[in-house]
Parts: sequence; structure tokens; C-alpha cells
Amino acid sequence: MTGSKESFTLNFKAPEFSEELRSEGAEFLQDLPVPNRKTERWKYSPIAKLLNGSLKTFGSEGLVWPEEILPDPVPFLNSYRIVFRNGTYVSSLSDFPVAEGVVCSPLSEVDSVEFKNTYHRKEWVGAMNATYHQDGLFLTVDKNVILDRPIVVHHLTDGSDTASFLRHFISLGEGAGAEVVVWCSATDASSGMCNSLLEGHIASNAYLVIDKVCNEGGEIFKFSHEHLIQERDSRLKINTFTVKGHWVRNELEILAVGAGTDSVFNGTYMPTGLEHVDNHTTMDHAHPNGTSSELYRGIVYGKSTAVFNGKVFVRKDAQKVNAFQQNSNIVADQGATINAKPELEIYADDVKCSHGCTVGQFDKEALFYLKSRGIGTDEAKALLVKAYVGDVISSVDRDEVRNEIVRLYSERHGWE
Amino acid sequence: MEPTEEDKLLNEVTGKSYEFGFTTDIDSDTIAPGLNEDVIREISAKKSEPEWLLEWRLNAFKVWSEMEEPEWAHLEYPKPDLQAISYYSAPKKKKEIASLDEVDPELIKTMEKLGISLEEQKRLSGVAVDFVMDSVSVATSFKDKLAELGIIFCSLSEAVQEHPELVKNYIGTVVPQRDNYYAALNSAVFTDGSFCYIPKGVRCPMELSTYFRINEAGTGQFERTLLVADEGSYVSYLEGCTAPQRDENQLHAAVVEIVSLDDAEVKYSTVQNWYPGDEEGQGGVYNFVTKRGICHKRSKISWTQVETGSAVTWKYPSCILKGDDSIGEFFSVAVTNNMQQADTGTKMIHLGKRTRSTIISKGISAGKSQNSYRGLVKIHPGATNARNFSVCDSLLMSDTCGAHTFPYIEASNPTAQIEHEATTSKIGEDQIFYCQQRGIDEEEAIGLIVKGYAKDVLNKLPMEFAVEAQKLLTISLEGSVG
Repeated sequence: MTGSKESFTLNFKAPEFSEELRSEGAEFLQDLPVPNRKTERWKYSPIAKLLNGSLKTFGSEGLVWPEEILPDPVPFLNSYRIVFRNGTYVSSLSDFPVAEGVVCSPLSEVDSVEFKNTYHRKEWVGAMNATYHQDGLFLTVDKNVILDRPIVVHHLTDGSDTASFLRHFISLGEGAGAEVVVWCSATDASSGMCNSLLEGHIASNAYLVIDKVCNEGGEIFKFSHEHLIQERDSRLKINTFTVKGHWVRNELEILAVGAGTDSVFNGTYMPTGLEHVDNHTTMDHAHPNGTSSELYRGIVYGKSTAVFNGKVFVRKDAQKVNAFQQNSNIVADQGATINAKPELEIYADDVKCSHGCTVGQFDKEALFYLKSRGIGTDEAKALLVKAYVGDVISSVDRDEVRNEIVRLYSERHGWE
Repeated sequence: MEPTEEDKLLNEVTGKSYEFGFTTDIDSDTIAPGLNEDVIREISAKKSEPEWLLEWRLNAFKVWSEMEEPEWAHLEYPKPDLQAISYYSAPKKKKEIASLDEVDPELIKTMEKLGISLEEQKRLSGVAVDFVMDSVSVATSFKDKLAELGIIFCSLSEAVQEHPELVKNYIGTVVPQRDNYYAALNSAVFTDGSFCYIPKGVRCPMELSTYFRINEAGTGQFERTLLVADEGSYVSYLEGCTAPQRDENQLHAAVVEIVSLDDAEVKYSTVQNWYPGDEEGQGGVYNFVTKRGICHKRSKISWTQVETGSAVTWKYPSCILKGDDSIGEFFSVAVTNNMQQADTGTKMIHLGKRTRSTIISKGISAGKSQNSYRGLVKIHPGATNARNFSVCDSLLMSDTCGAHTFPYIEASNPTAQIEHEATTSKIGEDQIFYCQQRGIDEEEAIGLIVKGYAKDVLNKLPMEFAVEAQKLLTISLEGSVG
């Protein structure tokens, strides 16, 4: 690592709201070690290359929105929209819900936010976010209010050596419901870092659905951390699709702080070339009768690498928890690597917890079956891949979102 | 739990008068506690070792001095004070031992208590025993019979004197000095251990076994085992451990190296029953062991372990599958009760083409114990058509214990096929109910279910061990119901 962390961070300038978090983040930033290959949580995802760069934050003022990227990433979806570019809010392209019991705005326009997330005390990446966070979605939904349309949060990175820091905040009251699509795109010429954090509070009996899509061109190091807190009998579904991205790290932490929670989290990744995709998930069952189900599927092509680390904690007294985790991988080409680490830490006895992890190839018999019916190898493989990740994609509720994800994958991987 | 009950069961295990916590009074030749270069020179001198081995030890010491004690394991324990340990304790040899009559009668008594009296062993069981008591091998049986086949089975120090070329050729090749903190420590201060060499094409006619026993108070035990199976040979090796009761923690940092040359097969079985400490977690042995084997072409190494003892276990018997078509296997039952902690598992490193590995790990946690499986399956880019299958099951017997799984899977070859699955659960109430209905009490029912659960692994043990291991399981879990 040639660039010291000081020289790396000096260029940044952040807006002047939520000062408290910023100064606390800065304190921790001083002391927390920069992740390297010896850091257990980062051993498969080195960031040395990023640290060699010199980055700066940009605004979006006066810039023309690039033609190749639609401000509305999910065509035909009847939704609300909040758009950011290089970490700053673009009001002209946004469209907010106006309804009783719903507060939705950019974070920078909110008087005060009670951040509870403490990621910045644990990780250097988190401290970076706390110190330099620029803007993000602020959404609160009152008791028993169901948001009528999904909110699309679209972030565009555009420009070289760009650093963007997003911080989203979602809080749902008792029995409330909301759907959010978190979409990230970047132009092919862009490079730098995008560091985003989402903090979500789901009160009892409420539900939250998040579909997260990363479709970034260029060479961006992407750190994305979602921290969701679930109270009694709340439901959460979060899908993480990495369609395209140079270096992507998705960290998902779900903490059940009440009994009877239900958490579903799925994901797919299909890196090609020299791409790197890392999915870290933590499911923390601290209370009884919770259920969780996790399904991550990936294919590594070319010389790409993928990482999967799934942790399931079942704390003492969290009896009758039912946790399931499945991770499947296909190494498609010589030179590609998958590093998987599914973990279970169980401290309660009356539980059902299992995980499965596989690395394999395309089913030879299935390929033969298709080929013997006149379908070429490539096409046959595409069909199998489509079915393989299709199981995960099908868990997206909205047709429009699902179709767009399939379309992007198809375009990228030459499916029919 | 009634202590008398436990004693009864223990006696049953050995079938002889045997109980934990006895020590044998023999004059011991012990050097002052502490660790420095001089101590190493002293150990080496006491054992009249050749110059190269002393150099090797000193080099290991240098490496070790620069290392830090690992902290990544899911274990919590006070760090042993390595300067407070005496690194050499040998029963005084009055003269060379030619026959059993010349063995210290006290020592024979110990062996009898352990249930492995040499006399009896020789006559009855057909198991050759290399008996290690406090680091120095004092008697070896069946040597002649093995010698006829060209098999060398002796203490490592004897091998250093008599077969230096073999030792020099293989020592440290599988577990290098700088491999890890405890392996480096062992390389510097190992006092003795077993050496075994099976010549080309020889099938060893009997199970080779070694019994370890920590005896002298305040002495760490640094065994080093080196097992070389030459081309096309076969050997089954048993290792069993018992340790007497101690209040202070004792350190056991052993190294086992296995070299399995082309077409050879090695089966290494362990029943580990070091003193686990009392119910409050006082005392007990620290078991920090490095075990590894290297497989050449078409060869096979099979590790089977039943881990019931030790306060803290840190142990990963591993296979480096270097040769094409080689096979690695790992079968493990790890039982923790009371305050015991175990972090154990395996590493399967696939380098050769068409290499295969199987991992079956069964963890059972009871009381307030913590039981972790930690494993690595690594498929290198050149390991075409490698295959791995892993199952890690955990059984929880109380609501205060923990069961954890940390498998690492690293695949860099498109033809690799890896399956890993893990489950954590408790004994089904319906199963216990079923047994109780049929007049089997709860404790016995649990014993029955646990034995069934661990059967996949216990079946892999040689006969003599399988019986003992089953009883050990029952004892270890006694009183954990509820």
C-alpha cells in the first residue's frame, strides 16, 4: 500500500449536516486499521489497488445527465423516485410520495436523524462513510401506513477518481409497509469509490422489501453496507443482484431484536473478466421463534473472483429459531475463483439451523439432453444459467423489476 | 453426577483397575523451567543428538521467537506461560533396557493401570505398542516381528541415532518449522515421539499404536511423530491419550507428520482423552496439535479422531493432496462438556488432478462448552476434476453450550465439485419419547441416539478403539441430560 490513509482521504469535502456522526466517524477513522489481506473479514477482497488512487468528491451541479443511463432505471414501474449523482441529490429527476404518515426526502433536507448504526466504530470503511457521508434517502412511514408504490433510489457515479458516500435511512412504524429499489449505475468512463450505507428499522408487524441492483460500468470500488433491525413479528425481504461491477462488496446485516421475525435474503452474482464480487451476510437471531432463509447463487467467469461469507448467529435463549442458508457456485472458466465461507454460530439448543454450500459445474446430462435436441452448447448453457439464477430472481415481487434484471443479465451474458 | 458412577464407567472402559488422577513416582530427570537457546542445547545434548538436528531446533526457535500466538480460533483461555514450563523430563535410565524385567517396576505398574501392560499386550492383543511416558520412549514391543518385514517402529530419538538419513530426509517436510506458532515451538523443543517407516510394498500386519501420557507435574509435552509409508505400503496407526488430574493447565503441543508416497495408504486413528478440567473449568490440558499428511500419487491418508478430552482443543488434521488421484479423508467426533472448548476440523488442499476428499465431522456439545468446526477445502487451479464432500453436523445437548461451523471453501478450477452441508439441531423429543416408551431411561436413550449419530465415524475406527470410544462418548456426556 503506497498511499497512506491520510493522503487518500484528504481530498474529500463533505456537506455540513449531521455533524455529530461526522466527528465521531472521524475519530474512529484515525484509529481503525485499513483492511488488508491479513484482516479476516477482508482477506478475499483486498483494497490495496483502491488505496493507491487519489480520489475526490464531486457535486452534480451543472452536469448534464449522461444519455446512456436512464434516470429511471426500471422502465414501466409505477414508482416514486429519488436520484443521486456522485453522492449528491438531483432534485430535477426526483419524484417523492406525498401522503399522510410518510416522510420521504433527501437526507440533507432533514433537520435531524437519529442514526443508530455503529458500523463506523467497527470498520474503517464504515468510519469513512460516517465521516464523509454526503446524502441519501430519508424515509419514515407511520404506524399502519402502507406505501402505495415502490421507491426507486437511483445513484449514478460519473467521472474518474470519484468518491461518493451515500447514507440511507429508513424507519417503518408498527404495521407499516414499504418497498424500496436501490439501484446503482455508473458510466463506462467512471472510476473511484462508492461507499454506501443503509440503515433500516422495521417496527413490529411491519414489512420492508428491498431489491438492490448494482449495474455499474467503469472501474468503481463499491462498498455497500445494509444494516436492518427487525422488531417482533416483522418481515424483511432483501434481494441483492450484482449485474455488473468492477469490484463490489455487499455487506448485509440483519438483526432480529424481537421474537417471531421473518427474514428472507437472496442474491446472485455473475462476474466476468477481472471483476470481483463479495457478498457478506450476517443474520443475527437474538430472540426466539424467528425464521430466516437465505439463497445466494453465483457463476464466476473469466478471471473473476467471487466471495461468499454467510454468518448465522443464534443467540442464547433464541429458541425455536429456524435458519436456512444455501450458497451455490459454478466456476465456469479456468482462472476464475470462488471463496466461500458459510458460518453457523449457535448458542441455543432447540433450533433448526442448516447451511449448504456447493461448487460445481453445469450438469453434463442436462447439457447433453439439450444438445441432443439440436440446441448449441452456448445456448444450452445459457438456458441452464437462466434457470439457475432464475430461482433467485423469481423472488422479486414486482414484474417490472424482475424483467429488467433478467433483461440486463441477458444482454450481458448473451442469453436469448 | 455421582463420582462413583463415573468411576464405575471409567473402570469399564479400560477393563482394568484404572482411574484418572494417579501419578507415578519415578525419579525424573527434569531440567529447570524456561525456554531459551541453552535449554534447547541442553535437550539436544541430553539426547546426544547430531549437530544438524541441533541446528534445526535452533532455527525453529529463532522462527518461533518472531511469531505471535494465534488468536483467530473461537477459543477463550488464559495464555500458557511458556517460560514456566520445563521442557525436558525423562524417566532416569539406569541402563539400556534389554528386556521387560529391567524396566522400572513403578513404570510397569503405570502401564498396568493404563491397561496396556507390555506383557499382556505382547501375548494377547497383537498390537505393537511404543509406550511413551513423559517424552521418552522406554520400551517397545514387537520390534523384532516388525523388523523382519523391514518396518521401523521406534521412538523418534532412537530413529535419529539409527536411521538419521530417513529422519533428516522427511522431518519438517510436511509441517515446516514456520508453519504456525505451536509447530515452531514443537520443532524447537520436541523431546521424543514415534517414528515409523513402512518399506516399499509392505502391508503392516498389525495396528501400530502409541500411548501418550503426561505424567510429570509442570511439564509440557512436545511429542513429534513422523510416519513414512513408502511406495505401495499400508499401515494403520493408533494414538490414544490419557492424562492424570492436574490443577494447573498443561500444555500439549504435538506435531504429527505423515508422508504417504505413491500408492501407499495410511490410516491414522486417535482417541484423545486428556484431562478436560473439572466442571468449573479448573485445570485441564491445552491441546494445540498440528497434524498433517502429504499424499503422493494414488496414495491415501485417512484421519479418524474421537476427541472427548482436553480443556482447550486446537487441532486440524490435514491432507495435502499433492499427487494425482490421491485421496484424503477426515472423520471426526468431537465431544465437549462442562467448560470444554474445541476448535477442530481439517484442511484438504487439492493440488493434484482427480484428487478426492471426504470430511465427516460430528460435533456434540453439552454443559457450558463451545464446540467449533473449522475447515478448509482448497482447490488449486491445476487440480482438475477434484472432488470434495463435507458434512458437519452439530448436536446441542443444553441451552448453555454453543456449536459453530466455520468452513472455508476456495475453488479455482472450473472442474471442481465441492459439496458442503452443515446442520445444527438437538436430540428430537420424539426420539427420546420413543425410547422411553420402550422402557429405556432418558440417559440411556440419549447415549443410544448419540452413538447412532456418531456411528459414521466410529465405524471407521479399528475394533479395539471403537469399543473404547463408544464408552468414552457415554462417559463424556454423562450428567448432561436436561
